[in-house]
Amino acid sequence: MAKFITVGERIHCISPAIREAMANRNPEPILQRAKEQIDAGATYLDVNIGPAESTGVELMKWAVTLIQSHFDNVPLCLDTSNKAAIEAGISVYNRSKGKPIVNSADAGDRIENIDLAAANDAICFALCSKAGVPADNDERMVYCQEMLERGMMHGMDPADLWFDPLFLVIKGMQDKQMDVLECIKMLSDMGLNTTGGLSNVSNGMPKKIRPIMDSAMVAMAMQCGLTSAIVNPCDLRLMETIKSCDIIKNNDLYADSYLEL
Amino acid sequence: MAFVQKPQVYKAAINTVELGVGEKKVAVGGATVSPLYSFDAPIANPPRVGIEITDTGLKGATKGMAEFYSGCNSLADIAKRAAQAPGADFVCLKLEGADPGEENKSVEDCVAAAKEVCGAIDKPLVIEGCKNTQKDAQLFEKIAEALQGKNVLFLSAKEENHKTVGASVGLAYSQKVGAESACDINLAKQLNVLMTQLGVPSGSMVMNLGSAAAGYGFEYVASTMDRVKQAALGQNDSMLQMPVVTPVASEAWSVKEAIISEEDMPEWGDQEQRGIKMEIVTAAACLASGSDAVILKHPASVATISAFIAALM
Repeated sequence: MAKFITVGERIHCISPAIREAMANRNPEPILQRAKEQIDAGATYLDVNIGPAESTGVELMKWAVTLIQSHFDNVPLCLDTSNKAAIEAGISVYNRSKGKPIVNSADAGDRIENIDLAAANDAICFALCSKAGVPADNDERMVYCQEMLERGMMHGMDPADLWFDPLFLVIKGMQDKQMDVLECIKMLSDMGLNTTGGLSNVSNGMPKKIRPIMDSAMVAMAMQCGLTSAIVNPCDLRLMETIKSCDIIKNNDLYADSYLEL
Repeated sequence: MAFVQKPQVYKAAINTVELGVGEKKVAVGGATVSPLYSFDAPIANPPRVGIEITDTGLKGATKGMAEFYSGCNSLADIAKRAAQAPGADFVCLKLEGADPGEENKSVEDCVAAAKEVCGAIDKPLVIEGCKNTQKDAQLFEKIAEALQGKNVLFLSAKEENHKTVGASVGLAYSQKVGAESACDINLAKQLNVLMTQLGVPSGSMVMNLGSAAAGYGFEYVASTMDRVKQAALGQNDSMLQMPVVTPVASEAWSVKEAIISEEDMPEWGDQEQRGIKMEIVTAAACLASGSDAVILKHPASVATISAFIAALM
């Protein structure tokens, strides 16, 4: 089995520093966050430019070129609801370290992003939802099938659809957590790749609790077969947990210094 | 239905490590397929074959070996003859005489021997120590210094001396260094990590994962190499993508099949032939398991194994 893939979430326009940097094409804050995350062990970096309806095309091209040219073509996850911006980003994307990821499609309004990914030989995050949070796993699996069929109809390799069961916030949806894990297990049993916004689970918890909760969740999810997640790679406890789980799963050969790699 | 071949080509590759300088330098490693699977994709460099000589000269040489080296009066002569053996890609000088438990030759004597051999051959040189980790560290440092620019491979850095050997051979004198572990996959990886952390470039490192004569626990060697190749190619583990160089001679020539005389065991037949066969089967098994280079002693084994490789490429 391949090693768990982490997608660093810290280049996100919701952060004021990044929003300012994107608005003014100021490279420094973006490069700094890219470096921090790569140094911390992120495989992919998410580049979230927000909806960026008017400026998305140019902004995504600028961001992709900027980050890849500074960091040895680090693979990127293009995160926006603006489809033209994703295509523009892919047009300047260097694939030497991995295919681009389209973030994201769902079984509803955003299903066309699967077509976009297929047309551009990209990976696509596929959210198992249509409108809002799915009620149960039956619903999740229906959406999964719809998206799987859509992708395969367009000639996609099923391995390029990374299904997101939707991690749910524990504070308020504590009773749904085992459902999410069960869904990961079902997707994994079908041989599918999976992903998700892991830190959702600890949303609203005290700062010192979040790394603990995220680490516990990732360990349980990896046991169920989770193959990747969107995470904060600067969370040392979380990254150490992922590396340790990769060792236990025999995804990575143990050496005494495994945490330093 | 016609057979449709599904080539198993990995996205990852074994590192390519160059040994020696000039026209006769050789590249080791570079494969992107399972060992010897040249039908899946071309293998960048075929597995290489080294011929082993020792600083103690022809002491204890078998009849065939003595014939092959007949007329050689010095270590330089022996080295030159070895380098001309059909199928030999490089020469390996084993510093047996340096062993404190044996002749305990001085570091200076060993440096002189290494220089003599290096000066006599146009093929790459590999230096194998005497297995005493402390002495090896001293030997390797001085020889690496004396042979700067010759791109010599030193076998090997072990857990006990990897810091000294890595820093001198790999860093200070930019030679090539092998990391040795005895059928311990975790230690094999750890040594590569530690040497990388020292600053030794990955293109300067090879691995000796350990060996055993065929029939003498070889399954440990096979499963070790299997897991290492699986990590290197299947899991793209950069800390295990160093090519594997396996000294076979000392293992193969020290088992009973090779050392019991024909007088004691007439039904086993000619003793030397038995040794050659042990060396050949062990080397072939190593290559099938994942060695990117093997080191053999008898010119007949060198010729056979090199023909075996050529036939499979």
